[in-house]
Amino acid sequence: MTSSSATSRKALSKIASNRLQKELVEWQVNPPVGFKHKVTDNLQRWVIEVNGAPGTLYANETYQLQVDFPEHYPMEAPQVIFLPPAPLHPHIYSNGHICLDILYDSWSPAMTVSSVCISILSMLSSSTVKQRPEDNDRYVKNCRNGRSPKETRWWFHDDKV
Amino acid sequence: MDSDDDMHDANDVESMDEDFYSGEADDYYNSDNADVDDYEFVEDADADSDVFTARRHQQNYIILKEEDIRQRQENDITGVAGVLSIPRDAAITLLRHYNWSVSKVHDAWFSDEDRVRKAVGLLAKPVVEHPNLREFTCGICFESHQRDKIMSVACGHPFCITCWAGYISTSIIDGPGCLTLRCPDPSCGAAVGQDMINLLARKEEKAKYSQYLLRSYIEDNRKTKWCPAPGCEYAVEFAAGSEGYDVSCLCSFNFCWNCTEEAHRPVDCGTVGRWIMKNSAESENMNWILANSKPCPKCKRPIEKNQGCMHMTCTPPCKFEFCWLCLGAWTDHGERTGGFYACNRYEAAKQEGAYDEAERRREMAKNSLERYTHYYERWASNQSSRQKALADLHQMQTVHLDILSDAQCQPESQLKFIIEAWQQIVECRRVLKWTYAYGYYLAEYEHAKKQFFEYLQGEAESGLERLHQCAEKELHQFLDDESPSSNFNDFRTKLAGLTSVTRNYFENLVRALENGLSDVESHGGCSRAASSKNGGSSKASRGGGRGKGIASTRAGCSRTDDASHWSCDQCTYANARSATTCKMCQHRR
Repeated sequence: MTSSSATSRKALSKIASNRLQKELVEWQVNPPVGFKHKVTDNLQRWVIEVNGAPGTLYANETYQLQVDFPEHYPMEAPQVIFLPPAPLHPHIYSNGHICLDILYDSWSPAMTVSSVCISILSMLSSSTVKQRPEDNDRYVKNCRNGRSPKETRWWFHDDKV
Repeated sequence: MDSDDDMHDANDVESMDEDFYSGEADDYYNSDNADVDDYEFVEDADADSDVFTARRHQQNYIILKEEDIRQRQENDITGVAGVLSIPRDAAITLLRHYNWSVSKVHDAWFSDEDRVRKAVGLLAKPVVEHPNLREFTCGICFESHQRDKIMSVACGHPFCITCWAGYISTSIIDGPGCLTLRCPDPSCGAAVGQDMINLLARKEEKAKYSQYLLRSYIEDNRKTKWCPAPGCEYAVEFAAGSEGYDVSCLCSFNFCWNCTEEAHRPVDCGTVGRWIMKNSAESENMNWILANSKPCPKCKRPIEKNQGCMHMTCTPPCKFEFCWLCLGAWTDHGERTGGFYACNRYEAAKQEGAYDEAERRREMAKNSLERYTHYYERWASNQSSRQKALADLHQMQTVHLDILSDAQCQPESQLKFIIEAWQQIVECRRVLKWTYAYGYYLAEYEHAKKQFFEYLQGEAESGLERLHQCAEKELHQFLDDESPSSNFNDFRTKLAGLTSVTRNYFENLVRALENGLSDVESHGGCSRAASSKNGGSSKASRGGGRGKGIASTRAGCSRTDDASHWSCDQCTYANARSATTCKMCQHRR
């Protein structure tokens, strides 16, 4: 993430701030299995550690998710990417962008960081092959200059993995 | 493109189109028996004329203004709400889901109401119920709220008013997707209808929502489309199964219902699409650049070499000096390489085959470009000629008609033939324009067709030229007359005759092309002989027998028909033997 896109981001609205506080409290009481929130004092950017579920291709592997919240969260979806190195997965690009509908078109304000994390883990767990998306190189090339995955027009063509 | 010019002629163009293809003899929409009588339409003319007259004003489309659209939409909504006994907003949700087809809604609903309810999110009863709670936790902000601050749609999932308003607002800002808004709960598909929007959205959001709803009524409906003219807000409802796609909007724009490009008979939609794509695509420019330019070896900008020596200097700021032949730096060119003007490096490289591929590509591109340019130039010049004719028509109606009426002591109603002539010219230019796209895509190997086509097109060009000339030049002398001219009646007869002949010729041309020139095949050797003969002599015949009707041309190949026809002295139209006056120009035999 380049500094320019980080600074251009607007501060959280009051509603967003309140809601995130609540989510954080809920997370501390009842964290989703396999995830660890790395505590910082930055409410607007969460870094979350993901442990591959046992018995899947990603067992014993650890990855890091970076979740950035927009000003009008939760009306707008958070931006969720894997920090390098991103897991090898048919829906995860080498720059960490994730092709998952709930992060874009199908986002609903009734979803939470916790529910997003569970969806991502389930996406990892159901993978049968460790490989990059077919269009990885083209896509990643187009995303230089720190473009956000939320600016991508995603095409969710496969709901099996 | 032509909308500006078309604008001020709104009414004329419209009236023109109304009776354009529905002359007494032939019917525009009737293509069933057209292949039989394509060229020898003369004999059937009398018999069919009554039928055609009866059908001539049949219009297969309706132009809708905004109030018409709202009215229709409202009728459909109240109709469905009444028949299914459901609330208004549920009816909207249903109609939208079934692309505003009332019959589809009825069919689906009455065959399996539960399935339909599930698909569109119209729940019959709530999925969560908490009748006795006084406080609720909003599913979005996770705050507790009093019951009166909490709302939900049919499913019962509780969200506070503020979050609902934010949810709705975000979705309306996002676009027309707000019309299919569902409950925020990810597991719930309950529809959020217009009633909820009206309760919670801001004024401008409600307006936007209602605009999306209106647009959906036109855009999602298979029977309606917006007029594609820029700035036009009318929509068109088209009757399914009707023949002929040409639609004339109230804004005066004529377009094809099927592909929404401008009206393009006789060329089919696919060809038009390819042609327009070809014109707009940078591919032709690319071909030109490839054929006539080379990139500067340093800055890669394409450079066109008009003439002169091989010593090129790129434009500033690059200013790179290089050799056109080998694209090497000019500084390398000297005694060592065989002198400045004998770049032997090129010859050497060519022998080695290093330049062959690039050269051959340039050569091929150049040929295909020449062919395209040939057709494009003629297409474009007929287009601009049409624009000019439209302007002249306008000028005629607003200025010249008045002057002429004074000069020749004729009431304007007696001068209608001049307007008709100009309207004919405008239409013919349009048809002619598209025949060039047709010609471009006519397969090279179909020699007979191609020859016949080019003959027909040549005749059309010259026939129209004759009419255009008469309407433009010959008319002018009468404008300056001090007193009424005795020749004016002759002029009237001539121009009216030419108009009518040209109209007939073009109507037949349009049909012939729409049939893919099927005559060439079905009449086998006969028409091939005729067409090649005519094709060969078309240059000559343009000088002499200009604007000959296709009918009379065809008579040449089937001699037996000759006896049953006579050719009019004035307009050359081939009349049935029984006729005593010319069907076209009323000239006596």
